[in-house]
Amino acid sequence: MDVEAKRIMALSISKLYSLRTQRGGLRLHRSLLLSMTVRAARDIYHTAQLLRDAEEEQVVPCAPEAAPEEPMEISKDTPKEVAVKPKETLQEDKENRCASEQHSRKRRGKTALEADFLPLKKAKMETDEEKQHFQGEVLRTNNGNSCRQTETLTSFPSNRAVVAC
Amino acid sequence: MAGAGGGGNDVQWCFSQVKGAIDDDVAEADIISTVEFNHSGELLATGDKGGRVVIFQQETENKSQPQCRSEYNVYSTFQSHEPEFDYLKSLEIEEKINKIRWLPQKNAAQFLLSTNDKTIKLWKISERDKRPEGYNLKEEDGRYRDATTITTLRVPVFRPMDLMVEASPRRVFANAHTYHINSISVNSDNETYLSADDLRINLWHLEITDRSFNIVDIKPANMEELTEVITAAEFHPHQCNTFVYSSSKGTIRLCDMRASALCDKHSKLFEEPEDPSNRSFFSEIISSISDVKFSHNGRYMMTRDYLSVKIWDINMENRPVETYQVHEYLRSKLCSLYENDCIFDKFECCWNGNDSVVMTGSYNNFFRMLDRTQRRDVTLEASRESCKPRQLLKPRRVCAGGKRKKDEISVDSLDFNKKILHTAWHPQENIIAVATTNNLYIFQEKVN
Repeated sequence: MDVEAKRIMALSISKLYSLRTQRGGLRLHRSLLLSMTVRAARDIYHTAQLLRDAEEEQVVPCAPEAAPEEPMEISKDTPKEVAVKPKETLQEDKENRCASEQHSRKRRGKTALEADFLPLKKAKMETDEEKQHFQGEVLRTNNGNSCRQTETLTSFPSNRAVVAC
Repeated sequence: MAGAGGGGNDVQWCFSQVKGAIDDDVAEADIISTVEFNHSGELLATGDKGGRVVIFQQETENKSQPQCRSEYNVYSTFQSHEPEFDYLKSLEIEEKINKIRWLPQKNAAQFLLSTNDKTIKLWKISERDKRPEGYNLKEEDGRYRDATTITTLRVPVFRPMDLMVEASPRRVFANAHTYHINSISVNSDNETYLSADDLRINLWHLEITDRSFNIVDIKPANMEELTEVITAAEFHPHQCNTFVYSSSKGTIRLCDMRASALCDKHSKLFEEPEDPSNRSFFSEIISSISDVKFSHNGRYMMTRDYLSVKIWDINMENRPVETYQVHEYLRSKLCSLYENDCIFDKFECCWNGNDSVVMTGSYNNFFRMLDRTQRRDVTLEASRESCKPRQLLKPRRVCAGGKRKKDEISVDSLDFNKKILHTAWHPQENIIAVATTNNLYIFQEKVN
């Protein structure tokens, strides 16, 4: 389930990214729906992570390569079905896990990940709480909510929409 | 049942006409983006991605003979919107026509509103079949005559000429929307209209272009707290103070402009509790309402979300009175539809003249007719293969799984590039206009 969640997250982020280059400007509705999907997928992934980490505490840590494999297989329903388009993400993830079992934010390999997914402008950062839980993958999105491109107050000097009060 | 505007499954539909290029190579500019009959049904307007409006007119000859089908022929074509560039924000503004709405006819000329993402225009379409001839100072071709050669005086007279249909922009309503306009709706008072974008709804007077009133604003103070956007809005057909707007969360709000100037607080909120068994990653997306339409009698409104059509009684807020599944077999395919972006398709819906049947589009060039009175539904197809004059449309069936029967098509064989997003029903007769990607199909009730 979390593999599916991660795949959907990756897919959504790439869609969000491609929205920026679309003709006609940023589509607020679509960005919102995509970011909601990212959040839903991230919540599932995060929950699955927590469950897995709880299980890992009971498992005796083996060689670094083996350790991540085991818990993943337990929680995965279909271990073969890893249809992740951007293959680096999974590898990055394993790399990050192998390095340490701690809940620390991983920086290694983040740059490779960034190049693929992240929009050129980095908007909102994850909050500190979320950072602690979010091991392995750093996702920087603007949640689709930030219409910073369109949000300049001076954008309509001749805006004559009158707010009736 | 000719002329009744009703008809459920006892109505047989047959092919009448198809408009547009035949070849499969579709130019993006030719993609139809909106279809709308005028109030009498005599005129049918389409807008496309290239910013053009094409108006078809129903031929009035042979109407007395029921065997003859009245045909729609091109009446006027004009470029409504051009691509623009917002230099301040470095954004291109698409010329695609999002919506066309006709004004009720008041005199010989016809008026319609057309809108793209940012600008609404009022167009006057008028006929000219006479022209003045016999000017004193000008030649017939317009060149001025040498004043010294004029020795007589005459009164110019009107002489008949070949019919010319002229479209001229009478008003341009610009610079009032930060976000993308998704709806326009003419008020029953025939003086005002509303325009809605993702976060705001503005009220305009048809005569005044330099000012509009903002009547709904759902923009949060902090954009990162945004949870829903406006997806469609419409005025009540008879009550000039009432309008509704739908949201991406699947809710509809009815507002009364008499209650306050700013209608952020709704008078009624229509929302159906979510079925927890249907929860998935994509629940949010498929519950987003893509279209809302009042019934002609004003008692009901219809909403279209990705998988269903719902009919609401405006006096009952907690659940719809009727729900119809458009293509339930897609529920298990949502992930693939998310991957190919089809899950974001915005289908429209429409009522027939007497509110007994509703219609909406689907994939594979299928469209659905949902009969409310007989509680029956049928799936039909707009295809080049059924294009012989008066050819009867055969009901189509989709096989969701298991053994596929003869004449059924399996879900995996559906062509998701062939989608019918825009449909329109003649206000009085059983004539429907169905837009595939770049073709407009006109179907009529089969009359024996």
